[in-house]
Amino acid sequence: MGKLFKSPWLEVNVMLLVLIISYVALALITGSAETEPGAMSGGAIWGWLFGFFFLSFAIALVAVIGGIGGGVLFTPFMLAFTPVDSLIVRATGLIVAMFSGLVSTGPFMKGGLANLKICIFCAAAYGVGAFAGAQGAILVAQHLGETGEGFVRLALGVILCSLAVYFLVGGKKIEWPEVKKIDGFTKWLKLSQPYYEVSLNKVIDYPLTRAGWVLAAIIGVGLLSGFFGLGAGWAIVPAQNVIMAVPLKVAAANSGVLLGMGDCIGVWPYLLMGAIIPVFAAPWLVGQVLGGLLGALILIRVKAGFVRYLLIGFMFFACFGLLTKGLGMLGVIGAVPVWLNGLVFLVIFAGVTRSIIKFTRSKS
Amino acid sequence: MSAEETPKMPQMPRAQTVYGSIVYWITILSCIICMIGPVISVAKPDNNVLNPYKLFNAIFEGKDAQTVWKEVGGEFPGGHFYLKNFSYGDGFTQFGLALGCSVALWALIVVAFAYASDKIYLYFGLALWVAALVALSMIGIVGTH
Repeated sequence: MGKLFKSPWLEVNVMLLVLIISYVALALITGSAETEPGAMSGGAIWGWLFGFFFLSFAIALVAVIGGIGGGVLFTPFMLAFTPVDSLIVRATGLIVAMFSGLVSTGPFMKGGLANLKICIFCAAAYGVGAFAGAQGAILVAQHLGETGEGFVRLALGVILCSLAVYFLVGGKKIEWPEVKKIDGFTKWLKLSQPYYEVSLNKVIDYPLTRAGWVLAAIIGVGLLSGFFGLGAGWAIVPAQNVIMAVPLKVAAANSGVLLGMGDCIGVWPYLLMGAIIPVFAAPWLVGQVLGGLLGALILIRVKAGFVRYLLIGFMFFACFGLLTKGLGMLGVIGAVPVWLNGLVFLVIFAGVTRSIIKFTRSKS
Repeated sequence: MSAEETPKMPQMPRAQTVYGSIVYWITILSCIICMIGPVISVAKPDNNVLNPYKLFNAIFEGKDAQTVWKEVGGEFPGGHFYLKNFSYGDGFTQFGLALGCSVALWALIVVAFAYASDKIYLYFGLALWVAALVALSMIGIVGTH
């Protein structure tokens, strides 16, 4: 009982209390509100606000279990299956990616798994990329109209498909990279910092290398993240791990901190041009913070590797939606019939079910 | 890689723990503001830049951001409109968003001083550089639109 009144449970409980009071108040207010002509009914407003929060909360929870960032799920789905303008979606997607990173920053910094020096060093480059990407997104939206919207969806569909394949096959990652030679620049930066590795019951110190090369890679990652409003953990982790030889766990922790820090630069162009609409974005933010915190406190030890397959399945389905919607906007194909969407969904999830059964059998 | 035999917890640098704490608490504060803001917004629809009862229709009709602001709110008042409309529902919510989206700036300024007092001048400079990038981005003076 006592632990519920101590950090981090204390702040989680305060947030839960404020959340419950807020949504009850929203229900009472919207329930008694009269609907003006041309306006949405109060009940529908409540439904949207709660639905956004609930979806964001669910995304944050499964992201913790599945190890796939919330931004990668939010932006493609909203772009593929809702009529919401792509710039509004991408801007809100950046909020989702950023706050899922921000909420993990405190525990990773305190525990020592993340390395602030590496994060600041990479953010110096990531921020420039994310800022340029966001500016590019705004320029495309302002000058290319419907064609730009179509191209954005097509490009994101291709990226998402590549990502889903990458998540499926695992990619090249090394838990404990070996460093044969440390270059002078990396040595001068003094980036490494020992941390206590629970699984080994040891203090690990890790040498690093090729810090200069990682800067170039991170600028590119920032560009993608800023332009598409995606989280970029999928690229930041291998960039640090493969190029710079950061141990895998440290690279994963750094990626959350870096997303939170770097997207503080990339998100402002969207805020300043009005693409982040406060009452629309707020429930997504709240869901990420609360879901991320609760997920980290309750679900982090849940061994549910099958969730990863589910998420990858959703990614493939969103990819199909993005490609068909993009081609439709460019006038290449007509509207996709509902039965075809249903059929593709069934085929993808038959594959997912098969993978989950295989995975469960191999574990048992 | 070398591993020490005795599992003695290494002490985290002061800058690192300070950064983590500032980001954590400001993020929570920003989250709480974003819970309360929509309630004020819905309770007093006229006390908003964008009437929430008309906002969602416009968004789900696929209108772009500029059109949404123009049709529902008259004109986009600028990203920092919360400074003049703090008591508005959406102004207060925007303040919560802005606070969360600038959290790295406040944390990095403190971190820079922590590095300076520890005589780690390289990271003092880098922390200030990243903080300056956030500040420039917030002000919007390097925008292309």
